[in-house]
Amino acid sequence: MPAERAGYTVTMFLVDISPSMGATRTVELPPGPGGEERSVEMTNLEWALQFVKFKIQEMIFGGRKTEQCGVIVFGSDLTANIVNKKHGGYEHVEEYIPIATPNSGTLVRLDELRPSETYGDPIDALIVAVETQDAYLERKRTWTRKVVIVTDGASPIETEDWEKTVKKMTGLGVSLTIVGVDFDDAELPYFEEDKSAIKRVNESFYAHLINSLPEDLGLLGTLSRALLSLSYPNVKETKSTLSQTMLRLGDVETREEEALQIGVRVAKCTALARPGGWKRFFGSTMESDDDDEEGERKTIFRELQKRTEYLIDRSPGDAQGKKDVPVDASVDFDEDELQDEDESQLEKVEKENLIKGFKHGSTYVPCADGHFLKLNTKQGIDILGFLSEKNFNRAYPLSEVSFVFAAPSSAPDQVAFSSIVQAMFEKGVLAIARMVRLDGSDPKIGVLAPRVWPDIDLMLWAQMPFADDVRHYTFPSLTTLISRTGERITKHPYLPTEDQLDAMGRFIDDMDLTDEGEKDENGKLQPWFDPRLSFNPTIHRTKQALFHAAVVPDIATHPLPAPHPELTKYFEPPKRVLKRSREALEDCIEVFKVKEVPKKVLKNRKDGHVRAADEDEDMILLDSKGPPKKRADATTSPISQAHKQRATSDSETETESEGEELLLPTKPRDGPGLPTPTASPDPELDPQRAPGRIIGNTFPLRDFRKNLSQGDVVTKAVEDMGVVVREIVERPFSGRRKDEVIECLKVLRETCLKEDEIDAWNDILKGLKADCLEEMGNKAFWSELKKLGRGISLISSSEAEKLGATSNLSESAAEAFIQQ
Amino acid sequence: MPPYDDWNVLVEEEEEELQDTSFFEGKRDVILFCIDCSESMQELRDDPVYEDVKTSHLLTALDAAMQVQKKKVISGPNDWVGILLYNTSRRNENNTRTSEIKKGTFVYQHLAPVSAPSIQELMGLIDEARGDPDTLKNKAPPLQGNKIPMGDVFTSCNWVLRDSAPKTASKRVFLITDDDNPNPSNTKLLTSARTTLIDLTQSGCQIEPFFVSTPEKPFDVTKFYSSVLPSNVVGNEQEDTGVLPDSISITRMDDLLEQMRFHEQPKRALFSIPLELGKGFTIGVKGYGLVTEQRKGSHKYFVDLGNRLEAVTSRTAYIDEEKGAEVDRNKALFGMKLSGGADQLTDSDNKIGLGASRVVRAGRRPFYTAEEVQSFHTMGLEPGIQLLGFKSRKELSFEDNVKHSLFIYPDEPKYSGSKRTFSALLQKMLEKKKIGLARVLVRRNSSPVFCAMLPQAEKVEEGGWSEPAGFHLIVLPFADDIRAPPLEKEFRASSPSKDAAKVWIEKLLIKKGFEPDSYPNPSLAYHNAQLQASAFREEFDAESFEDLTRPKYDMIHKRAGNLLKEWKKAIATDEHFNNVVLTTGTKRKADISVDEAEVRSKYESNMLDKLRVDQLKEFLKNKGQSVTGKKADLMGRVHEWLQMHP
Repeated sequence: MPAERAGYTVTMFLVDISPSMGATRTVELPPGPGGEERSVEMTNLEWALQFVKFKIQEMIFGGRKTEQCGVIVFGSDLTANIVNKKHGGYEHVEEYIPIATPNSGTLVRLDELRPSETYGDPIDALIVAVETQDAYLERKRTWTRKVVIVTDGASPIETEDWEKTVKKMTGLGVSLTIVGVDFDDAELPYFEEDKSAIKRVNESFYAHLINSLPEDLGLLGTLSRALLSLSYPNVKETKSTLSQTMLRLGDVETREEEALQIGVRVAKCTALARPGGWKRFFGSTMESDDDDEEGERKTIFRELQKRTEYLIDRSPGDAQGKKDVPVDASVDFDEDELQDEDESQLEKVEKENLIKGFKHGSTYVPCADGHFLKLNTKQGIDILGFLSEKNFNRAYPLSEVSFVFAAPSSAPDQVAFSSIVQAMFEKGVLAIARMVRLDGSDPKIGVLAPRVWPDIDLMLWAQMPFADDVRHYTFPSLTTLISRTGERITKHPYLPTEDQLDAMGRFIDDMDLTDEGEKDENGKLQPWFDPRLSFNPTIHRTKQALFHAAVVPDIATHPLPAPHPELTKYFEPPKRVLKRSREALEDCIEVFKVKEVPKKVLKNRKDGHVRAADEDEDMILLDSKGPPKKRADATTSPISQAHKQRATSDSETETESEGEELLLPTKPRDGPGLPTPTASPDPELDPQRAPGRIIGNTFPLRDFRKNLSQGDVVTKAVEDMGVVVREIVERPFSGRRKDEVIECLKVLRETCLKEDEIDAWNDILKGLKADCLEEMGNKAFWSELKKLGRGISLISSSEAEKLGATSNLSESAAEAFIQQ
Repeated sequence: MPPYDDWNVLVEEEEEELQDTSFFEGKRDVILFCIDCSESMQELRDDPVYEDVKTSHLLTALDAAMQVQKKKVISGPNDWVGILLYNTSRRNENNTRTSEIKKGTFVYQHLAPVSAPSIQELMGLIDEARGDPDTLKNKAPPLQGNKIPMGDVFTSCNWVLRDSAPKTASKRVFLITDDDNPNPSNTKLLTSARTTLIDLTQSGCQIEPFFVSTPEKPFDVTKFYSSVLPSNVVGNEQEDTGVLPDSISITRMDDLLEQMRFHEQPKRALFSIPLELGKGFTIGVKGYGLVTEQRKGSHKYFVDLGNRLEAVTSRTAYIDEEKGAEVDRNKALFGMKLSGGADQLTDSDNKIGLGASRVVRAGRRPFYTAEEVQSFHTMGLEPGIQLLGFKSRKELSFEDNVKHSLFIYPDEPKYSGSKRTFSALLQKMLEKKKIGLARVLVRRNSSPVFCAMLPQAEKVEEGGWSEPAGFHLIVLPFADDIRAPPLEKEFRASSPSKDAAKVWIEKLLIKKGFEPDSYPNPSLAYHNAQLQASAFREEFDAESFEDLTRPKYDMIHKRAGNLLKEWKKAIATDEHFNNVVLTTGTKRKADISVDEAEVRSKYESNMLDKLRVDQLKEFLKNKGQSVTGKKADLMGRVHEWLQMHP
């Protein structure tokens, strides 16, 4: 058998289309969106063809001209094959698709296959296939030959003379795979009950046939397992090419005798593989042709072609801010405008009329070539110095990793290189180097790490950041907090306590993965997770999806099966570890008391003032699909709508426990009035601010304004403000804060009117009144409010209508409320 | 930049990288320099660098503002800058652009996109001031008597920003002053400063102070500013925590520019997602890109409209060629390329048309929608970091790298308690020398990756940048990304050779390790220098350009030259030095390996012409020489090389 190499293969698919293949079966589908079980009815033939189509799809995907196949059907009503032509016989065997490089047309033809009315003999078909293949490969003796039989094994087989065929196949090195519908499989495991006698005989015959072939040429399996194995992630191995360059140290031009220069080769060690292969399609429905007997409408999907268009906005006066700014170019022509403006204002420009250039502030610098003079550089890796391994910052490497080997054809280079690698390895140092891939290309800075392997010494290269590549953001210290008076704070909700540190320590110990993997060949437990076994789920899922869509007629009725378990095996921590760490986790939850702060719900400001975006919004922007302008108006983008709904539903589920806390102002708390943190570790952020609240009791008005201005947490802010006001009023000595509270209420009322929180205001005020007029209430405060009169009372419908809102209160009721 | 849906949708090659850059380009940064012009700022001092030159804090501040603009014009050409002076008696002339600002403040440079002319104008002023120290006093005479209330300064800043700055930008005020108590013993003014500053920050503007501290006049923030500056100056804390804001930067005047460099780019988070440590134990984190390869800006297209050049935006259109019509990108479906050949299509297919197409019964859809494709990318996961467990620090090897790392820091406003939890995790992991393993999906349109969580301890450096505390997320390669080594066996040097190498390695050890700041990207600098020269209409002087990343030859030879010589001798006597390498290359290729000894003997006996062209080429290739030309050229080159290397 010739050496296995990619391509240069002819695979013959022999498909059984005897009447028995028309039996229908129920194939399970992945659960539907609601988790319901789903299934689809299809014939055994359709099911078997899925396998064939997958195999062919893989060939199309690989895109090799030398990966060819042909399809022969047996049990066909027709007889059309070369053996029959020459010698007669071999009936009901049809060469359905001649050997060629497959394409989408091949798949279309396969879809047209239907179960026949007659039986055909698989051994006849096998002989035809081997002959047809041999004739085709007459001048291509080195090609790999494969035959795949797909059958249900339910039809009689002529079991004479098959030994001769086996002999011939062995001689030609033809490999044979038999895929059987519902064949017994001990490994799956699957055993068909009430198997027909003929199928039982056929199965054992097939097994015998396969066993008679040389070991590496025969394979027998059941269809369901074959289909499953197709979704197993299969890494496409790429051989890294060696590109030659020089390793240098010192000045090799003028001080050659004390400089070194070694011929080396560089090859990729890691290279990001990306999912891909998607093309865009668009379907259009067409009326049926007259000669189409079924008379049904069809949809034709065509691949779309990409075209780059260049657009220009010729109306400088219209673009906002442009006329005022004394510059010679459009300054505000950015994404916002582009999205917003009617396309008609934009004009297409031909590519030939364009000038290349660079943006330099608001001015442009034309540059005909698209680049300036390049730095004159010489190919090679120049060592700049060495650094100790312990000074190496593992967060710096910013590229894929490359191997660096000594030139394979030069012993002196190998010896020289090896001596450096070994010396670096033993000293525990890395080299800092500057690499120029080709003469004239941009230099990169990086490090070379020595590796001493059993039979070879090599280095690994990774690119490191230039000064320009590091962003010096400043972050507040996590350990050193300084108070406003300049003193160091040692107890603060931001600083973990001893208890918290201990709990975290136990959690880390219990979540250790060191001995959680498989055993190696010496029986030693390996760590859980190995990059070499972690398949990129996206790549393999995408491939699975691509293939699936290519072989099924409709995604809705034939949904994509679940991803192969191999793809998601590292998605969750191992069960054993989860179990072991459960207690430590509970402790952590208990001592850290982390709480999600209610999400802000985006809302339009009524005053039409566009507030500056804060950085969080961009996160949402990135998540959503709409153009940026629309972010303020969440309802226009379906995804932010989803956000919103999620946000609401989240808070709904939380109110069960948390809401109660919020709404019960009388809930006893420890020393809520103390302005300083309590001596015991207190996880609360602000002793004056109840957990989960965004308004504190110390500066309620400031908190309230801040929240309003920052993001629209209006509903939450109004609600919290109401609770806070009622709390303050209830407390002893609240008279001291009378003016402040009244101010709060005024602002709150105004906000409620503007922000359509009218019901919230009315509820708060009613609650406040009830509080005040209770036995132990603050009657004095209510009389203060009464003095303010109608202006502070409930919001009536007439008031609300002015602002386009609604209220279910009449004006007179509002008037009366404050008087009583 | 590409239109939004282009980088928002999916499937584009290098999708994630594209997002990162467009994210940064997409937002404009506005900086308003707000510089104190009082007497002490204008006082003349000896220049720390040049002899017999006088300078002042104000001049240094203006110089720093100019330098920042010079950088911005290239790194952020869409950014805006302006300069406001205060404590000066100069008044703005009547202008229609902004509201009348407070007395004592003066807009020297209007808020506008950075541009070559305005930078040149500022450069002119600075040059003039260097020549004649009184220039600035005349241009911006210091206010006599009482200083103006800081509240007025903040109000002016607010008005200037409100009236001129583009609405979607990030806005910052760089406050430069040497006065730690501008409005002494006046609590009313203090309160008004405080409230006006709150107004300023509430309108979405951040303030970044640069307080000038000198030995004669140290700056005490607690006198005034610590009670004025809100703790949310950084913009990401919601509540007043009673903690001094971290961004109060006190700087010596000489360090001003250095200090500003750290603030040059506004701090922008790439993502804000939950970090789930365990079920029911989730904190919030924000992610930042602290190391990202900074590339040359790609060229853009312009069209000449006669009186001006106008930038052109590009857009990808999707065309149904059969119909010759454009298809709404949102209506396109996704599937696998149909290979073009129509040769096997049935008759009815051929009638339908040319090109790749697929025909199904109406109502059927053998293609995916964009949402479905996205779900294949995300594997149905929501954005977030899922901790999987902990491993020994040693397990993170050098070769497990494919791209730059990300940095995460707790996001307290999203989950209260994030900071203490994060801090505890960090401290304990450092103590136990552990790394975390996590499954990470940063955005709804990205793909899940596995990352090592490498804890970073806080390191504070004197006066400069410190390593912040947090975790680096190092993206691990998948099995699909890992390549097998193409070579597996080569000759190994013996001990004497190795020992000889150790000696010079020792001499060339850089004690501080790798410091990115020592290596500015030369090709980027070369490009930018030309860009700037062209914009300023100056001649580009290639001669004066210095590539700081070139090896320091003199240092290398001085320290290790002789040792390298010794090492070479040791190598030449190594047992394997003269071995002939057996090439096991493909059969098609003739054996072209030729060892140096053979070439040299041919050269000495003047029989170089006995070697074949491919052998000559191989030899030259190994010596890093050119392999072009005819046989005579090659022989000449070999001759030359052997002569040079006796």
